[in-house]
Amino acid sequence: MNALLEVRDLVVRYGAALAVDHVSFEVRAGETLALVGPSGCGKSSTAAAALLLRRPDGGEVRFEGRELTRLPERDLRALRPAMQPVFQDPYGSLSPRQRIRDAVAEPLRVQGRWDAATGPARVAELLARVGLDAAHGLRRPHELSGGQCQRAGIARALASEPRLLVLDEPVSALDPSVRAGVLNLLAELQETLGLGYLFICHDMALVRHFADRTAEMRDGRLVRVS
Amino acid sequence: MRAPASAGVRAGATRALALAAVFAGVGLLPWYSGRDPALTVLRARSAEQEPTPEALAAIRADLGLDAGPVALLADRASGLLRGDLGTSWVSGTDVLPSVTAGLQVSLGLMGAALAVALAVAAALVAPVLVRGRGTSGMVAAMLAAVPEFLLATVLLVVGGVWLGWFPTAGWKGPVHLVLPAVALGVPAGGLLGRLAADALPAVLDERWAELWRAAGVTRARVAGGALRRVLPPLVPQFGLVVVGLTGGAVAVETIFAVPGIGRTALGAARSQDLPLLQGAVLALLLLGLLVGGAAALVRHRLLGPGLRDAGLTLPAPRPPRVGPAVPVVLAVLLLGMIGWGLLRDPYAVDTATRLAPPSSSHPLGTDGLGRDVLARLGHGAAATVGTAAAVCALGFLPALALGFVPNVAAGVSDIANALPPVIVGILVAAAYGPGTGGAALAVALVSWPPLAAHAAALVQEVRASRFLSAQRAIGAGPWWVLTRHVLPSVAGPVARHALLRLPGTALALASLGFLGLGAQPPAPEWGLLLDESRAYVERAPWAALAPAAALAVLAALAVSAAAYGASARTTRAARTARTARKVPSRVR
Ligand SMILES: Nc1ncnc2c1ncn2[C@@H]1O[C@H](COP(=O)(O)OP(=O)(O)OP(=O)(O)O)[C@@H](O)[C@H]1O
Ligand SMILES: [Mg+2]
Repeated sequence: MNALLEVRDLVVRYGAALAVDHVSFEVRAGETLALVGPSGCGKSSTAAAALLLRRPDGGEVRFEGRELTRLPERDLRALRPAMQPVFQDPYGSLSPRQRIRDAVAEPLRVQGRWDAATGPARVAELLARVGLDAAHGLRRPHELSGGQCQRAGIARALASEPRLLVLDEPVSALDPSVRAGVLNLLAELQETLGLGYLFICHDMALVRHFADRTAEMRDGRLVRVS
Repeated sequence: MRAPASAGVRAGATRALALAAVFAGVGLLPWYSGRDPALTVLRARSAEQEPTPEALAAIRADLGLDAGPVALLADRASGLLRGDLGTSWVSGTDVLPSVTAGLQVSLGLMGAALAVALAVAAALVAPVLVRGRGTSGMVAAMLAAVPEFLLATVLLVVGGVWLGWFPTAGWKGPVHLVLPAVALGVPAGGLLGRLAADALPAVLDERWAELWRAAGVTRARVAGGALRRVLPPLVPQFGLVVVGLTGGAVAVETIFAVPGIGRTALGAARSQDLPLLQGAVLALLLLGLLVGGAAALVRHRLLGPGLRDAGLTLPAPRPPRVGPAVPVVLAVLLLGMIGWGLLRDPYAVDTATRLAPPSSSHPLGTDGLGRDVLARLGHGAAATVGTAAAVCALGFLPALALGFVPNVAAGVSDIANALPPVIVGILVAAAYGPGTGGAALAVALVSWPPLAAHAAALVQEVRASRFLSAQRAIGAGPWWVLTRHVLPSVAGPVARHALLRLPGTALALASLGFLGLGAQPPAPEWGLLLDESRAYVERAPWAALAPAAALAVLAALAVSAAAYGASARTTRAARTARTARKVPSRVR
């Protein structure tokens, strides 16, 4: 059993309120685990804690067998690229001041993988991979449509060469006609790159179509895993 | 959000701290300024006595300087607790009676000025209430921006010298009160009126006003309701207005030779009479503090315990829409005059053509030494604006840094807001002697709070944005996030804001120059020019009015630039808010 992400008894508190109450699940390479549940049940909090974007208040998070919750931020930084988030709000997750090209190149620079000779070609390749062309790369987020912007966000996540994507309602802000395109893209990426997906979603019809397994949350607890 | 009560306590504590710091700062002047007060005191006491080492040593012993800083300060502080402010180093008399006498005069003047201010404010607010919607507020903003020293000089020239309606100097009866009270009260009234007139339009657009109007409630009652809604949150601003009055009193009392506490403070700083300076400055600051405290108390009463914060904050005022045309035209006008003046020689003395009227060889006439007024204005502007630019640039970095520590910034800006620039100018001049550098330092010390507040708001906005967690997710460290994302989003807007404050900063510098606390003769500084020209207003009104007109244009530029900046900021904010709203309503 090769679990990519393994979460055990995860707890997230906001002050006295318990937002995530001892939640456990795992995501394997190449599979999609859907996390569903009503609004406010703690899905986004679970995602943020699983990515260590917010330190959990209890429990364990293992990525490829390595326990993360007790690692200092400095060590964590080296491991972060392998697990990337894609957010619901396509505009808010990119800096409004950056051109798309630079936003996609930024992970390469941050992670010390930027090379003036090959970098631009790599960025163009990533943009092409998500269905954007070089002209899109010169624009800023507000000059793109929501669907294009979400694709740019995915390209940026891919630049870190992740093995896990945590997708927090990646298509719920998009028009239904654009959704299918983004979902097809995600399915194709999973197929070719063998990515594991933690896919947070409201839409049960979509989940049935897209997910391998489903975990259902209610009031911070996991009530059903299939 | 902080509760208003604890904010009040914090403001009180920081201001008390500021008082103590000023008290100690003045007391310790001789030790850190490197200037020996003994020589100044000797000169002030008697013109004949030679400044021999023995005479100076005797004076030092007499002043208690020999005992060292700690002993002197402890002595002063214990004296203060007993109500003893010490004796003047120059006159040898008790400080306390001089301070109370000056304070009495100043209180009378400020009371009259407040009456003028309320009348002006009422006149500014009335049209808004009558018409039921806003004006551009530019008139009020203009009045608020006119520096007291400029208004006082113009009133002195027009009402006192030309028309001869009012006495121009002294303090002997109600007629002596008129010109100083108007000079002091009009800018304060402009500020009060502007605050109310800014808030009213948004209040008159609130849901309840719409409902009242729809239900046929009379206009007068709607106006009354709007006033009741606007006034309580404005009461604390009253404290700020009084702080402004204490600063303005220095200039106005000096110009009209009113024996008030402001003039006493300025005189004490000039003669290095530290005990008198300590007493006078403490009295001025305490006055602002007490009125501020009283205003907070009144607001508390007005609102009642249950209503203290909820729903009573005013809707954000909508700044008038101001295009760039007005500030650009004013700036071109000023720059044209400055450029023309820069081509001429400001120091060439021609005693044959003293106080000449405007002519082709001297377009704005000549001054008392026969120097070309246009040349002096041009060169003076370069110096004043250059210094102002340096002050703005210097204020920019600390303001930016303080934006990252908003709690510290709030405390420090409370202190800076409680200190009028003129009083800081007096203290700096007392420490390092009057000069351009000292004036610049004084203005820089008090002019940064609006910039820091702007920076803090931007930092908060950027930090809260989603894309910063996206930064952490790719493994970016705090330094990367700070230098690549946070600073670039904050520095640009704050720098633009600092640039727009340049004319206002130049005015503050000119007002210090006017009081002799800034650039020294024969330097052609604008405030200094106005001060020099007062001596011969009757014979050469042109020489006096030219700098006054230039300063008025500068004030207009300050107002229109600030208004343009505010309206540009709100439209930009509205635009980003629109982009952000795109998301929930599904987009393609
Ligand atoms: N920063 C925060 N501070 C305090 N409470 C929070 C914070 N973020 C979320 N919560 C609370 O925690 C609970 C879970 O929130 P979370 O955002 O994880 O829900 P969600 O399942 O993602 O909801 P949605 O489907 O609406 O996105 C909610 O009750 C929410 O009010
Ligand atoms: Mg959520």
